[in-house]
Amino acid sequence: MDNNLSILVVDDELSVRDSLSNWFIEDGYTVDTAEDAKIALKKIEAFHFHIVLIDIKLPGMDGLELNRRIKAINEDMVVIIMTAFASVDSAVQALKDGAYDYVCKPFDPDAVTHIIRNASQSIQLSHENLSLQDRIQSLVNVEDIIGESEGILNVLEQVRVVAETDSTVIINGDSGTGKELIAKAIHMNSSRRFFPMVTVHCGAIAENLMESELFGHERGAFTGAQYARKGKFEMADGATLFLDEISTISMKMQIEILRVLETKQFTRVGGNREFKSDFRVICATNRDLTTMVKNGEFREDLYYRLNVFAITIPPLRERVEDIKLLSEHFVKLYADQMNKGTRHIGKRAAKALRNYAFPGNVRELENLIERAIVIGNGDTVQLKDLPFEQNIDKPTWESIQDMEHHHIENILKKYDWNISHAAKALGVDRVTLYSKIKKYKIEKAK
Amino acid sequence: MSVIKIIPLQFSAVEELEKMLSIISRRFKMETRLSAHPFDMNPYFDPVRSQYNANEIIQKLVAVAGEENKIVGITELDLFIPVLSYIFGQAYLGGSAALVSGHRLHNSRYGLAEDPILYSERLLKCLIHELGHAFGLKHCLKPGCVMVSTTYVEEMDQKSDKFCQTCQAELATLTV
Repeated sequence: MDNNLSILVVDDELSVRDSLSNWFIEDGYTVDTAEDAKIALKKIEAFHFHIVLIDIKLPGMDGLELNRRIKAINEDMVVIIMTAFASVDSAVQALKDGAYDYVCKPFDPDAVTHIIRNASQSIQLSHENLSLQDRIQSLVNVEDIIGESEGILNVLEQVRVVAETDSTVIINGDSGTGKELIAKAIHMNSSRRFFPMVTVHCGAIAENLMESELFGHERGAFTGAQYARKGKFEMADGATLFLDEISTISMKMQIEILRVLETKQFTRVGGNREFKSDFRVICATNRDLTTMVKNGEFREDLYYRLNVFAITIPPLRERVEDIKLLSEHFVKLYADQMNKGTRHIGKRAAKALRNYAFPGNVRELENLIERAIVIGNGDTVQLKDLPFEQNIDKPTWESIQDMEHHHIENILKKYDWNISHAAKALGVDRVTLYSKIKKYKIEKAK
Repeated sequence: MSVIKIIPLQFSAVEELEKMLSIISRRFKMETRLSAHPFDMNPYFDPVRSQYNANEIIQKLVAVAGEENKIVGITELDLFIPVLSYIFGQAYLGGSAALVSGHRLHNSRYGLAEDPILYSERLLKCLIHELGHAFGLKHCLKPGCVMVSTTYVEEMDQKSDKFCQTCQAELATLTV
């Protein structure tokens, strides 16, 4: 058993020091001993011990005082107090002063094994916690979002500005432009980053389930509600609530949400108790909410409540210069994931990508590259690895909308109108595909 | 040539030990023999704890071991070290002496019917475990390995009297 932990045993009795150090050495720990507090403090200043076992009765400075001194030097050091004369007062005092545990000598072999194992687990958890916090901090760095076009740089500057505040943010952008990534970047760069970003995909939740999803429900609130359940507002306490596709929620829910946004208070479905939740709202939409407000499809008061700070992500076709960077990023990402040696994009393939309109935006580009890595060989993505070889060199359609219309129609035919498969191939979600079918009045051939 | 010597110290079931010699010899690839030694255990008795001080006994054993040999004292008396309430055995890592007690290995001590075979198995595991320490092996985490640390007899019954591959390989380097 090899342990990286080091233990200092502080006891004035040589037999105790010898017995314990021998016991710990057999377990693979690095062990040192000290016969009094003065020597112990010298050793602690010179070397980092993870765990210190201290006898409460020591010549000169006693164990309780030594514990206090150690905590002043290093708060994280695990101190275990040992005593031959159990006293509740001294035990309580030691624990109040930050000791990890308190044991009475002589103790069972099992007790000491358990205490040391628990202490080492606690040290390990504390290290893991620190390393996870570091990883969270570097998870979505604004600098890591790819793009050098004016459009995306403008978005990133807005993210930097708004992240530090607690303002409500609305992110506009076509499907696949990376609205959720921008929301994550705002969350991860805000003071709420150590709490989760609670996401609600409004378009994917049935109308009758939305209320329970957002507000939670009490036991017995409706048939099948066997247990009380927290809603997303409650889960987002201290955190960020991301409402994706906010435009899809019903007028009734809009009223409910407006009320919660204003008061930050709500009741669970079937309950009377008022809950308070401190959340920051970020929402996203691919539809123009001002038009929806004009058409009476979206409440004006909710719109103004949400539209405190608006960020608009330009579609990929308006930032062609980012296609190269994004393509290279996805090539590296998927080649690494699939253990392939692909590293470059061929000239013809790069040209084809540059000329393509990308109705599905970055998500579509990502899917194209992933597919190209799957089917391609060698170290370069070739034009033949991309699915639009014939269409790229000779564009058939006049407008982008025409192109999108026919592309969707072709994909639907290809997948025999299986919406899930077609949506996956297009790199959009099912709700978006349905709205496009409606928009372009595409019908299944009889 | 160095040998492993097993010295009974107030231990009556010597015939059980004779059966174990060949197994211990195979495990350590070293000649193992029973050796009688006049040894008075009374000075190591602690009247307050009604137990025998293992640390002091081991120090005495070290003196009789000689530089090249490994010596294991085996007793029916209850052992302690100052900071622990009891021990099954004791050895210093890489030292020349070890000590094992059968006192707490009997089923009858835990209110169960006596099982002489189980007792012998536990005794053998203890002997090999403490000798392993004396040769320089630390505790092992591999389930079943004789070097797994055990503080209850139930745990001891879970492991075998054999070394895992890692401990076996390490032992080979330590016994060169």
